[in-house]
Amino acid sequence: MPQAPRNNRKEGKDNMTASDVPDRFEPWPPGIEPAVPIAGYPNTWTFTPSQAPIRRPATRTEATGPMELQRKLPCGDANLAELSPGKFAIGQLMHIAGRILDEEGRPVRGAIVELWQANASGRYFHPIDQRAAPLDPNFIGNGRIRTDDEGRYAFMTVKPGAYPVPVKETWWRPPHLHFSVIGPSSLSRLVTQMYFEGDPLNALDRILNSIPDRAARQRLIARDLPPAEVGDEWLGFTHDIVLRGRHATPMTP
Amino acid sequence: MSNSLLAPTSQHTIGPFFPRTFFQPSDNDLTRVTHGAEPTARGEAILLRGTVLRAEAVPCLNQILEAWQADAAGRFNHPLDPERDLADPDFLGWGRAWTDAEGSYDFRTIIPGGYSDAAGRRAPHINLSVMGAGLMRRAQTTVFFPDFPAENAADPVLTLVPEAHRGKLIAVPGGMVDGVRVFRFDIRLQGDAATETPFFED
Ligand SMILES: [Fe+3]
Repeated sequence: MPQAPRNNRKEGKDNMTASDVPDRFEPWPPGIEPAVPIAGYPNTWTFTPSQAPIRRPATRTEATGPMELQRKLPCGDANLAELSPGKFAIGQLMHIAGRILDEEGRPVRGAIVELWQANASGRYFHPIDQRAAPLDPNFIGNGRIRTDDEGRYAFMTVKPGAYPVPVKETWWRPPHLHFSVIGPSSLSRLVTQMYFEGDPLNALDRILNSIPDRAARQRLIARDLPPAEVGDEWLGFTHDIVLRGRHATPMTP
Repeated sequence: MSNSLLAPTSQHTIGPFFPRTFFQPSDNDLTRVTHGAEPTARGEAILLRGTVLRAEAVPCLNQILEAWQADAAGRFNHPLDPERDLADPDFLGWGRAWTDAEGSYDFRTIIPGGYSDAAGRRAPHINLSVMGAGLMRRAQTTVFFPDFPAENAADPVLTLVPEAHRGKLIAVPGGMVDGVRVFRFDIRLQGDAATETPFFED
């Protein structure tokens, strides 16, 4: 796990009480957030707020988040590769696993992890995706699980295909997975994407390359696992996701 | 614990293809704990409605909104709330909606309670996150209510907003539907200083 030394913070505590909540959470470290709007991605020109966001204290509403969301959002479908027993999706079978951590490296337990992706031909099972690429009758391409006590998540799926972005100066999105993580504080809500090492489209992707810091971009790329670790049938990748918010992971039993 | 912290993973846009199959009909209904359950949350049920617009006031289709709020007594079922044990067990405080072709969203929820915090006395409010294609970072704003002018005037977050723009964060009464009060809260993602919704850093 790559680490970024940041010495401008006070020592953490292993436990917290309400009085430990800092008045303000620190801003994102430089270079990690996407630089917007993005040249060549016209939607960002008209959606991105033009006024600077206002810094606010982290009061209880900002410091807290949903703790029992699995009651509202059903969790448990981790196998995207096999729609029903024996009905496998087309493509390279792939296992993706990793940990959801906070900035102090502590596992975020019970976080909701949502994954969605295109099929092997780069088409989404979504009414808005009307591209001519074929749908796969055995692939919906999304799942939702909850992390375990070590903050681990895992999905079985197929490697997604690339797809073109329908704008005037078309570019191709490299194969990627979309992740949405809902942790136990407002700060630990994260929507991100994961990429694959060595794909030539990575260097051309306007979304990935909107992240200014090279190391931050590299952290969005999954690590390949050797076949010996995952077996003969599956590609294997690990990918850890770090949520913001020091003090944001409550100590729960 | 060392000073060497892990760097947080970068945000990306949620994109246009956030799965419809992730939504259940009651995801935008905070008064029900689960899909199909009876509305059991304590407090006054309300409808919170609005539209999401971008530059030139164009409606935004398919934007995802997430709401987070305290229960009717201003408590959260969370370890950071000193009165967690008293929090409404039938209220999760969280909901998710998405905008239709007119850019419209709605939530069914309850009027939250205010609470005292180290930063000051919070007026009743609902935090909203907006995510969608074209938004690389989520946009975060807060809904206040016109019922509480004195509390709003003292709220430690609302008072950080330039005075001329505070009104944009106060929901507008929109009549009644089936005996439930309606509040309108329109979100302008991009505009000029006069029209854009105030957003907060995350
Ligand atoms: Fe995508």
